[in-house]
Amino acid sequence: MLTLRKAEDRGHTDLGWLNSYHTFSFGGYNDPKHMGFRALRVLNDDRVAAGKGFGAHGHRDMEILSYVIDGGLAHKDSMGEQHVLGPNEVQAMSAGSGVIHSEFNASATSPTHFLQIWIIPAVEDLKPSYQQFAYPSSEKRGALRLIAGPDRTSNPAAAFINQDARMYAAVLGAGDSIDQAIRPGRHAWVQVATGAIDVNGVAMKEGDGLAVSEETSLRLRGSNAGESELLLFDLA
Amino acid sequence: MSDVNVLVVFYSRYGNAERIALATGVGAIQARANIRLRRVADHADAKTIDATPAWRENLDRMNRDYVAPRPADPQWADVTVLATPPDSCAEIESYCASLPSIASMRGKIAAPLAPRDEESALKPIYAAAACAGMVVVPAKTESGDPIAAAREYGQRVTEMARSLKKLSA
Repeated sequence: MLTLRKAEDRGHTDLGWLNSYHTFSFGGYNDPKHMGFRALRVLNDDRVAAGKGFGAHGHRDMEILSYVIDGGLAHKDSMGEQHVLGPNEVQAMSAGSGVIHSEFNASATSPTHFLQIWIIPAVEDLKPSYQQFAYPSSEKRGALRLIAGPDRTSNPAAAFINQDARMYAAVLGAGDSIDQAIRPGRHAWVQVATGAIDVNGVAMKEGDGLAVSEETSLRLRGSNAGESELLLFDLA
Repeated sequence: MSDVNVLVVFYSRYGNAERIALATGVGAIQARANIRLRRVADHADAKTIDATPAWRENLDRMNRDYVAPRPADPQWADVTVLATPPDSCAEIESYCASLPSIASMRGKIAAPLAPRDEESALKPIYAAAACAGMVVVPAKTESGDPIAAAREYGQRVTEMARSLKKLSA
C-alpha cells in the first residue's frame, strides 16, 4: 500500500526568517491524521534566512537528525558540542534525558535549506549524545547510502540511533533507478528532498512523502531532467 | 506535553550565570518539564558594554541565542528560575518588579540562583520574588559542582511544582 503525502498538503509556518513545511504535526500545525508514521514523528523542510535560526530550546527523548540540502547549519548544545553542518554530512542528536541546543544558519549572507527529522527512541531517559560525520557525495549517487541506523558499527559509517529504524539518502539522475527490497513486516517512508522521482509508478515531486506498507520492494527512479535527492526510511 | 512549565530567566555578562541557567533548564527537562529560556537586557548602556570586549562579544552571542522575556511568560510558568551573576542582581530585580499582579503570581515558584550561591546577589532577588507573591525556593544544594548543583535544583523545583499542582487539583 502506497499513500502519497503531497507537498502542498503539508503544514506551513512562515515567520519571515523561517519558511518551514511540516509533513507531520509540529508546533502550531496540529493535524491528528498526520502525527507521524511508525517511529518517524517529525519531518520538517526548513529554509532559514541568512544569520537567523532557532534560539536555545530544550528536547527530551527524541532522536533528532539534521540533513542539510544547501547551506550550513551552526549547532551548539548543553553537552558542549559546537559544530557547523553542511551538505553530505549528517548530524544525529539523541536528546535522551534532556538537552538544550540552538541551531542557526551558519552564513550571514545565504539561506540554508535543511530537513529535520525526529524519530521516537525505543528507550526513554538515555544519556544525551551527539554525532556528526561527513561522507563522500559519490556514495549516494545512484545508491542508497545509510545515514543513520540502530547498528553501533556499520561500514561505511552511519550515525547510531536508539530505534529500529534506518535512514538512507540517494541522488538519482534522470532515468537512474534503485531497487530496494522491503523485509516482511517492515514499513518505509520516502521523502523527496529535491527534484522529482517515481516510486513503484507513483510520481513524486519535491516535498512529497510516501508511506509504504505491505509492499515487498520499491523501485525508485529519477524522473527529473536533472538530479533528484531523496530520503528513504526503513521502519518497524 | 509535560504538566509543569519552567521559565528560565537569567542575566549574564560573560556566560557564567548563563551556564548555571542552562544547567537548571536541563535539570527541569530531566524532570520532564517544558522549558523556556530568556535573557533579560543589560542596564548598562552600549558605550559601557563596548568598553569591555568580552562583555560585548558574549552579549552579541547571547542576543542571538536567546530572546528577551515576553509578557505571557510569567502566566505560562509554574516555576521561574532567576539566575544572576554574583556581582549584579539589579537586572533580575527589575525583572521581578515587572511581574504581573501578586494575585496572578501567587503560589508560583521562584527559583533564584547565582554562581557560588552568592548571598549578597540572591537576597534582593528573594525579596523581589516574594514581593511579587511567589514562593521562593532557595538553591542550597550539597553538590560541590555548580553545574551539577544547578541541574539538581532544576529537577527539585520541577518536582516541587508538580507536587503543588497535585495538591491544588
